[in-house]
Amino acid sequence: MLELRLVQGSLLKKVLEAIKELVNDANFDCSSTGFSLQAMDSSHVALVALLLRSEGFEHYRCDRNISMGINLNNMAKMLKCAGNDDIITIKADDGSDTVTFMFESPTQDKISDFEMKLMDIDSEHLGIPEAEYHAIVKMPSSEFARICRDLSSIGDTVVISVTKEGVKFSTKGDIGTANIVCRQNTSVDKPEEATVIDMNEPVSLTFALRYMNSFTKATPLSNTVTISLSNELPVVVEYKIAEMGYVRFYLAPKIEEEEEETKPQV
Amino acid sequence: MPWLSSTTLAKLSHGLWYRTVLAISITTLVVVVSEECAGSSCFSHLSFCFCRPTTLLPLRIPIHLPKPKMGIKGLTKLLADNAPKSMKENKFESYFGRKIAIDASMSIYQFLIVVGRSGTEMLTNEAGEVTSHLQGMFSRTIRLLEAGMKPVYVFDGKPPDLKKQELAKRFSKRAEATEDLSEALETANKEDIEKFSKRTVKVTKQHNEDCIRLLRLMGVPVVEAPSEAEAQCAALCKAGKVYAVASEDMDSLTFGAPKFLRHLMDPSSKKIPVMEFDVAKVLEELNLTMDQFIDLCILSGCDYCESIRGIGGQTALKLIRQHGTIENILENINKERYQIPDNWPYQEARRLFKEPMVITDEKELDIKWSAPDEEGLITFLVNENGFNSDRVTKAIEKIKAAKNKSSQGRLESFFKPAANLSVPIKRKDIKCMLRSFKPAIELKMSSVQPSNGSRPMVFGNLSLPKYNLGSKLHIFV
Repeated sequence: MLELRLVQGSLLKKVLEAIKELVNDANFDCSSTGFSLQAMDSSHVALVALLLRSEGFEHYRCDRNISMGINLNNMAKMLKCAGNDDIITIKADDGSDTVTFMFESPTQDKISDFEMKLMDIDSEHLGIPEAEYHAIVKMPSSEFARICRDLSSIGDTVVISVTKEGVKFSTKGDIGTANIVCRQNTSVDKPEEATVIDMNEPVSLTFALRYMNSFTKATPLSNTVTISLSNELPVVVEYKIAEMGYVRFYLAPKIEEEEEETKPQV
Repeated sequence: MPWLSSTTLAKLSHGLWYRTVLAISITTLVVVVSEECAGSSCFSHLSFCFCRPTTLLPLRIPIHLPKPKMGIKGLTKLLADNAPKSMKENKFESYFGRKIAIDASMSIYQFLIVVGRSGTEMLTNEAGEVTSHLQGMFSRTIRLLEAGMKPVYVFDGKPPDLKKQELAKRFSKRAEATEDLSEALETANKEDIEKFSKRTVKVTKQHNEDCIRLLRLMGVPVVEAPSEAEAQCAALCKAGKVYAVASEDMDSLTFGAPKFLRHLMDPSSKKIPVMEFDVAKVLEELNLTMDQFIDLCILSGCDYCESIRGIGGQTALKLIRQHGTIENILENINKERYQIPDNWPYQEARRLFKEPMVITDEKELDIKWSAPDEEGLITFLVNENGFNSDRVTKAIEKIKAAKNKSSQGRLESFFKPAANLSVPIKRKDIKCMLRSFKPAIELKMSSVQPSNGSRPMVFGNLSLPKYNLGSKLHIFV
């Protein structure tokens, strides 16, 4: 038996919009601690990890760990039918092949029930070790989205390098090159507009912009984004969900040929 | 058979393995072609049934492919029925960045059959030598490189003695086909000409050498196996030198290649997804050890020795599960019913699968991808083999551009698979109903699954309501 009541229903709508472009089908895992998801894109280059902690729900009941295979596009279709102020309740019975989304209008005068078929999804679960990152950049999420969008009109890949001066995003394409530098800036009126760079070691990594752009679909979830970088590790792009959890995107870097040759192969 | 024209049969034989045929002929005759082609005649069993048009049902008919029987008989079907989770369909593109060992002889064979053929005519250079294999090798390899894959081609060495019998059989089949071909040429039956000329195809030493030269010029590594190419591929995969083995020959699984891909080298126009087999999952699902699996393959019928008449894959699996080894089976089996071949060399066959002759020495295995030799390629392909110079130049550009693409890393090289807390429960009951035909459907309807910490016992308790659901699901699909 599973029953999760989320007063801020729009949050779930935003979460789906954030991840459905990257992943088609995924298993939602529910345990007593929270509602989570881990899934890779079909090419196994990017991974999304979602966590909504149980405390964030008004009512949270999960008798035993349950995994629900869901087609995210279909789920998004159903959630689109919920109003932005609606309260969303997710319900599923043990042994059932469906999940029910219930939408209640704030005035309680309209209640909608949407039942969705579940799927059996064979997915690989990756263990993500806790790592110390060489550099952590926190910046306004809209700024990051703008940078990714702008650069992708010039080139396919972005080099993100963090030095003492700041964080530099650069790209190169057939028509020319582009460099955008963001300096540390903490003297702003609102804390969410600050750019904070926490660097232990300079790093420089190359990523495919296509994936970065799809991560920025999570921008409505949070005013700020945190980008954690280490040489030879996937980048983590994190959008915090207020008081509830996060959506984290991991992206494998592009690797120089020579480096790859020396690395032990999988 | 006499009332069916040979043209109809030829049409049938051109089909893929399992093609659904609703009805052949004008009125109510349904032709059921069953039984894999084992003997020299193309269709060893034909059964005809008459039924009213209203009861016509799609029938599954295994149809003989115009190529010699290789590998383990009926293993694909056996796995589809008994270990469906061991096979997964993936997109061709999803293998970017992967190093893949390819059984070259099998590919060359395919190219000779398919590429640029019409009737008995094949692609040739000015000197009249066949170039289909070069054309095929060149374009398919570029396709792999463009998708960001890193192929290693493995060529066959000397066949093991046990295989000679099988090879002799193939030789006689070819001879037969050559006779049939000349007959077909006389009667000028176009479809027959094509069918039989395909069967006369043989990969020669010259073909292999041409391809090796081409691949080296393209900067693609080549391994010449001391004996069987599949065995060498499997050894490379076991040693972690490559991610997977690509072949059409199911032998690769018997040689223990941890990951085995089929249809990787199929032309893109066919749009067939790559089928990935995972040996560990095969063993897990069949509940066999690797040794038992090898015995199962020998019993099902392999290239190295005859199988016991009357024992196919399903029976073999049952016997292995019951008795564990071929030795025990031989002791317990009804010898009246099953004729065991005299001096049956199953032990020798087993040894070939378990300890095949392969190179494992690092120094001998020079697996490095390098830049293509542009001049060399133009000399070889354009000057010596009459390829269009513009097309070769463009292709070389493609190879160079492809090198950039292979630099994208994969997450698996950083994060290792973890014990997933939410492993879906095996619900064989539902699966059987859902997958009667297609071996690997990625997604099926299912129920909410309790996960983590629930023991199989708990699953057992749940199985009844689920079974009911299963029948409901049946309607959805």
